[in-house]
Amino acid sequence: MRRITFAVIAVALLAWTGIAQSERTIVDQAGYEVSLPDSIESIASVYGIGTYFVYSLGAGDRLTTAYYIGLKSAAQATATMQRWEPRLSDLLSFGDPNVEELVAGGADVVLADASQHEAVAAQLRELGIPVVLLSAEHPDAMKEAIQLLATALGEEAQRRADAFVDAYDRVISCVAADVSPIADTAPVRVLFLGTSASTAIGGEMYQTNLIEAAGGVSVTEGLSGGWNEVNLEQILRWDPDVILIAPYGPVQPSDLLEHADWQSLQAVQAGRVVRMPRLIAPMDTPVPESMLGVLWMATLFYPEVVTLDLADEVVAFYATYYGVTLTDEEIAAFAFQ
Amino acid sequence: MTPEKRPPVWPIVLLPAGVFLAALFLGRYGIRIGDTVRVLLGLDGPSDVFRSLILRVRLPRVLAAACVGANLAVVGAGFQGLFRNPLVDSRILGVSSGAAFGAALALLLTHEGITVQMSAFAFAMAAIGLVMLIGFRFGSSTLVLVIGGILVGALFNSLLGLIKYVADPLSTLPTITYWLLGGLNATQWADLPALLATSAVGLSFFLVLRWRLNVLTVSDAEATALGLRVRFLRGAFVVVGALMVAASVSMAGTIGWIGLVVPHVARALTGPDYRTVVPASAALGACTVIVLDTIARTALPTEIPLGILTGLIGVPAFFLLLVRFLRARGEIR
Repeated sequence: MRRITFAVIAVALLAWTGIAQSERTIVDQAGYEVSLPDSIESIASVYGIGTYFVYSLGAGDRLTTAYYIGLKSAAQATATMQRWEPRLSDLLSFGDPNVEELVAGGADVVLADASQHEAVAAQLRELGIPVVLLSAEHPDAMKEAIQLLATALGEEAQRRADAFVDAYDRVISCVAADVSPIADTAPVRVLFLGTSASTAIGGEMYQTNLIEAAGGVSVTEGLSGGWNEVNLEQILRWDPDVILIAPYGPVQPSDLLEHADWQSLQAVQAGRVVRMPRLIAPMDTPVPESMLGVLWMATLFYPEVVTLDLADEVVAFYATYYGVTLTDEEIAAFAFQ
Repeated sequence: MTPEKRPPVWPIVLLPAGVFLAALFLGRYGIRIGDTVRVLLGLDGPSDVFRSLILRVRLPRVLAAACVGANLAVVGAGFQGLFRNPLVDSRILGVSSGAAFGAALALLLTHEGITVQMSAFAFAMAAIGLVMLIGFRFGSSTLVLVIGGILVGALFNSLLGLIKYVADPLSTLPTITYWLLGGLNATQWADLPALLATSAVGLSFFLVLRWRLNVLTVSDAEATALGLRVRFLRGAFVVVGALMVAASVSMAGTIGWIGLVVPHVARALTGPDYRTVVPASAALGACTVIVLDTIARTALPTEIPLGILTGLIGVPAFFLLLVRFLRARGEIR
C-alpha cells in the first residue's frame, strides 16, 4: 500500500514538474508534440542509432542509459569504442525497453525508435516523461533527426548539428561531382553481403542509399524488405564488380576469395571483395559515420576520380563528432590494399 | 498375408531418381539442357562455371534435399507406428525442438557448419532422452510419451527463446531466425558427410527392420508373444530415428510436417503394411523436399525459406491428395 501511495505521489510529482518546466515543445519524427524542460541534463536512449546522434552533438556525457546498435555487452565492443566511452559497461542496455526502469532512471528525456517503441512511448508520456521518437531510415531522415535532437539539447548542440549537416552535404556533393561522369555511364555494380555469404541487402535498406550516393548500383536493389537470402547461382547471374561485406558478423573476404565456387565471379577475380571497417558504430547503418561510409565506398569504387582524402576525413570526423584521436593502426583500417 | 492386391512399389521408388535428375537441370543461372547433360556425363565442352554450378552447387543441395525428405518421412511413419498414434511426428516428440535449440546455441557461439550440426544432434538426443525417461518413469504408454514430447518440446522452445533474446540483433539473431525457417541454401559437399552417413545407416535400419514395425504397432503383449524384445526394439527405432531427424534438421532447419503428412499419403497409396509404407514414405519424402527446394532456389532472385514453402504449397497439395485417395478407398465421404 505504501509503495502504491509512493508511486502515485512520484507520478504526480513527475507530471507536475513536467508541466511546471514545459517551456518548449518540439514535434518528433512520429508527429507527436513533446514538451521539454528548459535544459536537458540527462538523456536515456533506447534507440541504438539515436545514441550516436547524442554523442555527435557533444552530449554523450548526459546519457544515463543507452542502447548501441548491435551491441549487447561491452566486451563485444571494438577497442576504439571502449577507449572512447569508458562508461560503456555502465550505460549499455538492450532489448525491449522497461518502462519502470526508465522512470526509475529519472532521465529528463527518453529517445526512442519510432518504428518500434510507440507503445513504450505512450506509457512514458502518460507518466509525464518526455519521449522523442526518432526515425533515421533514410539519409534525409537522419539529418532531420540530428537537427531535431539538437533543438532539444540547446545552442551548442544546434551549432554542432548545423556543422554536421554541412559536412555531410559537402562530402555527398563532392563525391557526386567526382564520380558522376563515370557513374552515369558505367556504374560499378555492387553486391552488399550481411552476416553470411548468402545474405544480401534489400532495395529499401540504408545500405542501398549509401551505394547509390557513392556512384554504385546495388545488384539487389530489386529485392524487397530487409536482408534477403540469395543463392550462389543468382549471385553468379548478377556477377557484381565489387562485393562488400557488412562490418559485423563472421564473413571475411578470404572466405569468398579462397572458395572454389566463387572463383568465376569478376569481383573475386579482381580481388574486389572488401569488408567494411568499423571503429565505433557500423557505418552501413544510419549513424553519423554513414557519411564516411559513402566516401569509403566511392574511394573503393572509383579510386582514380575521388578527390577527397579518405584518411583526412576519417581523422577529422572522429575528432570532431566523437572526440577521439585515432591511432595510425585505426586510420589504416580504412585503407585499401 | 491377405491376398489383397497392392499397387507395385517400384514406381514410387524410381520416382525420386527422376525428380532428382530433373532438379539438376533447374537453377537461376540458365544452363542449357545439352550442357547439363554433358557435365553429368563428364564430357568436355561446358565451361568451368557450368561444371562447378551443377556438380558443386546443385548436386550436393539436391542430394541433401533427398536425404532430408526421406529421413523425415520414414521417421514420421515409424514413430506413428511405434507410438500407435497417427498424429505423432518427429516434431511432436520434441526432437526437432531439441535440435533447433542445439543449432541456435551453436550459431550463438560459433558459425562453423559442423559444430552446428553436432550441437543440433546432441540436443535432439537429449530431447528424446528426456521423453524416454518420462516414458520409463510413468509407464511408457503412448499418451505419456506424447505428453512428454510436448513438454520437452516446450522446454526447448523456451530455451530457444532465451538464446534469441541474448543473440546479437545485427548478426547472430538474423542467422538464427533464418535458420529456423528452414532451407538448404549454401549446402556444400563439406556439409554432407554426416547427413549422408546418418541417412544411409538410418534408412537401411528402417528398411531392413520395417516388417517388425508391423508387429510393434499392435500391443506390447502381442509383440512379446511373437518373440520380439519390444522395449529394446522400440528404443532402437527411437534412437536411430532421432539420429536421422537430428541430422536432417541440423541441415535444413525445422520442417517437421513432412514427417506427419507424407507417411499418411504413403499409406493411402500402398496400404497400412509397413513393408511398403517405409520405402514409399522414403521415396515420397525425398521427392517432396527436392521439388519444394527446387522452387525455393529458382522461383525468385531471393531464396524462399523451405519451411514457408512446405506450409504454403506442400500442406494444401498433400491434403488434397490425401482426400482424393481416402475417398477413392471409401474411407471418407
